[in-house]
Amino acid sequence: MIATFTRPGWYRAVLCTVLAAAFGFGIVVLLRVISGLPAMQTEQTGYPQVVVPLITAPLGFLLGIGCFDYWIRWGIGMPTIPDDHSSHGAYSWKDYFKVNTDHKVIGIQYIVTSFFFFLVGGLMAMLIRAELAQPGTQIVSAATFNGLFSTHAVLMIFVFIIPMFAGIANYVLPLMIGAPDMAFPRLNALSYWMLPMAGILFLASFLAPGGAFDAGWTGYAPLSTGAPLGQSFFNIGVQFAGFSSIFTALNFLVTIITMRAPGMTFWRMPLLVWANLSTSLLVVAATPFISGAQFMVLFDRILHTNFFQFGAGGDVISYQHIFWFYSHPAVYIMILPGFGIISEVISIHSRKPIFGYRLMALALIGIIVLSYSVWAHHMFVAGMFSWLRVPMMFTTLLIAVPTGIKIFSWLGTLYFGKIHTKSTAMLFALAFIVTFTIGGISGVMLGMVPFDIHVSQTYFIVAHIHFVLFGGSVFTIFAGLYHWFPKMTGRMYDEKLGRIHFWGTLIGTWGTFVPMHWIGMEGMPRRVADYASQFGNWNLLISCFAFMLGAVQLIFVYNMIVSWRFGPKAEANPWRGNSIEWLVSSPPPVFNFDEIPRVVGGPYEYGIPGARHAIMGGEGAEVPATQPSVVGT
Amino acid sequence: MESASVPLPHGGGGHTAEAHHHGPPAANQSSRIDRQTLGIFLFIISEVMLFGSFFASYFFLRVVVNPVSWPPYPFELPVAIAGMNTAILVSSSFTIHYALEAIRKGNRQGMKLGLVLTWILGLTFLFVQINEYVHLGFSGRTESFGTIFYSLTGLHGAHVFIGLILLSAATLRAFRGHFSKEPEKHLGVEVPGIYWHFVDIMWIIVFATVYIL
Repeated sequence: MIATFTRPGWYRAVLCTVLAAAFGFGIVVLLRVISGLPAMQTEQTGYPQVVVPLITAPLGFLLGIGCFDYWIRWGIGMPTIPDDHSSHGAYSWKDYFKVNTDHKVIGIQYIVTSFFFFLVGGLMAMLIRAELAQPGTQIVSAATFNGLFSTHAVLMIFVFIIPMFAGIANYVLPLMIGAPDMAFPRLNALSYWMLPMAGILFLASFLAPGGAFDAGWTGYAPLSTGAPLGQSFFNIGVQFAGFSSIFTALNFLVTIITMRAPGMTFWRMPLLVWANLSTSLLVVAATPFISGAQFMVLFDRILHTNFFQFGAGGDVISYQHIFWFYSHPAVYIMILPGFGIISEVISIHSRKPIFGYRLMALALIGIIVLSYSVWAHHMFVAGMFSWLRVPMMFTTLLIAVPTGIKIFSWLGTLYFGKIHTKSTAMLFALAFIVTFTIGGISGVMLGMVPFDIHVSQTYFIVAHIHFVLFGGSVFTIFAGLYHWFPKMTGRMYDEKLGRIHFWGTLIGTWGTFVPMHWIGMEGMPRRVADYASQFGNWNLLISCFAFMLGAVQLIFVYNMIVSWRFGPKAEANPWRGNSIEWLVSSPPPVFNFDEIPRVVGGPYEYGIPGARHAIMGGEGAEVPATQPSVVGT
Repeated sequence: MESASVPLPHGGGGHTAEAHHHGPPAANQSSRIDRQTLGIFLFIISEVMLFGSFFASYFFLRVVVNPVSWPPYPFELPVAIAGMNTAILVSSSFTIHYALEAIRKGNRQGMKLGLVLTWILGLTFLFVQINEYVHLGFSGRTESFGTIFYSLTGLHGAHVFIGLILLSAATLRAFRGHFSKEPEKHLGVEVPGIYWHFVDIMWIIVFATVYIL
């Protein structure tokens, strides 16, 4: 009986969560009573007796489920248990609900968890569209509406797109560079388990008095510093999501730098690896800024400090500067891994080497460098220093150059390629190029100060962000999921259902978000539950397309679940890819390789007779006599 | 290339019971730097940026808002005591370096001495800091000055605390006889040591900005 609660696992996790919550609650009440204050504090921006348990309870859960066991044993000087690999690999579905150190299991955990939050966030979008289908308020109240769109954005950004890319890369990247696992497998497990903590905190804010956080995903002060308790759930949830992505990024960087297979030089890495290298550099250096910003808001709310209190020497605008210094790089965190996925898919399915491979990699680096210099283009109307506007406009427009290099290189790859669309992944990749280009161009429009002032806070912004995040990031996610589904599960998905899902998603995306540009230009404000009746028809149309878009995602869920269980067995290399993940079985063996493969050429030498990227099977394996040399390897 | 000619380790799938017992192949070391050291350097970049966000706030509150007096009248910061505290923390960088050099030469007693001294110096720093907080006479709610003063020094204090926990682990293991001369056998001293140096250097910057500038 006692052993049930001392072994790492769900029983201990529940016990530790309860104990940690009680500890957090107790310590606040104790300190308040000692200082002669009333035990409970129920002001709108207070509730320390709730906020502190919000921090301690997730930590208790992580402790209980077993994320820290090894480190604690090490830290108190106990002899560490020799690793018997018992927490590595999944042998039944139950292993996916444990702390696992296998990058492939963690990858699946990431993907399934973040897809769950995608569905929840999507359901919120459906509610939002239902409310907006007609002028007036019918479905939800204005306050609930504010909570819904804020939570929708936060779920999609922090616990869907960012961790979904982390999940796909977690699965594929170590295989691609010929590494047996990530550099820090236990840290990898901890990163994963922090993700559901963040998601649950965001969702739990609906239970808080005063409703969910409703200051938008940006949580601008002073709106957020005076908001009801739900805002604190957001402040703390972001810390967990942030730590999770920082640790994952650190893990990717160390893995890529120190664990590449022999022969895998930087200029032989697949572009997905390059994309995650640059994204991780962004995450490591930028994410602390949102942690800082949310700490400051939390301090202002709970400790009543004066970061953003105008009357006491605080600076309201400083919140936006600090927030956007993370959150602009964050939009590249949400698209660069997708660029990597598209490069893989396009090259494989047009049977041609990537056009301008080195420039593709350098463009990624160019984007991350520039992305630190554009944050204030979100603040043209915020009342910031007016001298900062034009420099920020220039740097913003400059980012279109490396992005354009990528778009044209994909087109160059397709040009005269043997394009075949037998995979839904390729359809999504082609659609991505078109949709993302449109979204990118509306981004350039928004970079212009006068135009930005005209459409600030209108549906044009909503249209732009959904064109780049749904038509961009989500399309790349679908491309990646279809592309590596056979590798991850060892089964083929149903191509016909994939096609229905693709066309439904494409038409739904354009139908939903294209009209938003027009009503935005005409002045329909965003983030409102009710609007002028002249926009009624357009909104009804948008809502219809949005419901269709939501409905076809169910086809995807059905396809994935049924194919995973009953689909035809996949061969090791269904798309005839060159990179190393296609050279192992589907799904890959528990430890990836018997021997570390050797890399002998570039990753994209399709259509070149005799060209190989890697050779499996260690020193003894035969090496091709002549290795054709190709530009970019 | 035919996919069928690709060797399939573990006969495909590999989700078999016998795969449970033999571990993964050793990863190729593709860089001279070892994983742990690179990891802590990258983590320190993150930490620097976290401090950076609070420094950004500091300069907004001090330079952009530009209040009439900084610190607000009649409060003053005890620069002399904080300077002495700085000396204490900086000297702990030398003691942790001594501990690392000692174990590199195989001198376990020297390592233990160095670690214990570092730990005591770090703890002294925290005590002096808390004592300073008690006697300052203003709180985190005293204008934006009090807010950013307590945030920056408190954020740093939290890092000293984390550093002390890491050092405690290293010290405990040192006294249980765990570290030795080989480079990969004393990473448990080296990596917390790098973190501790970061905490020290960061304090010099915080001290220079908050107390002197």
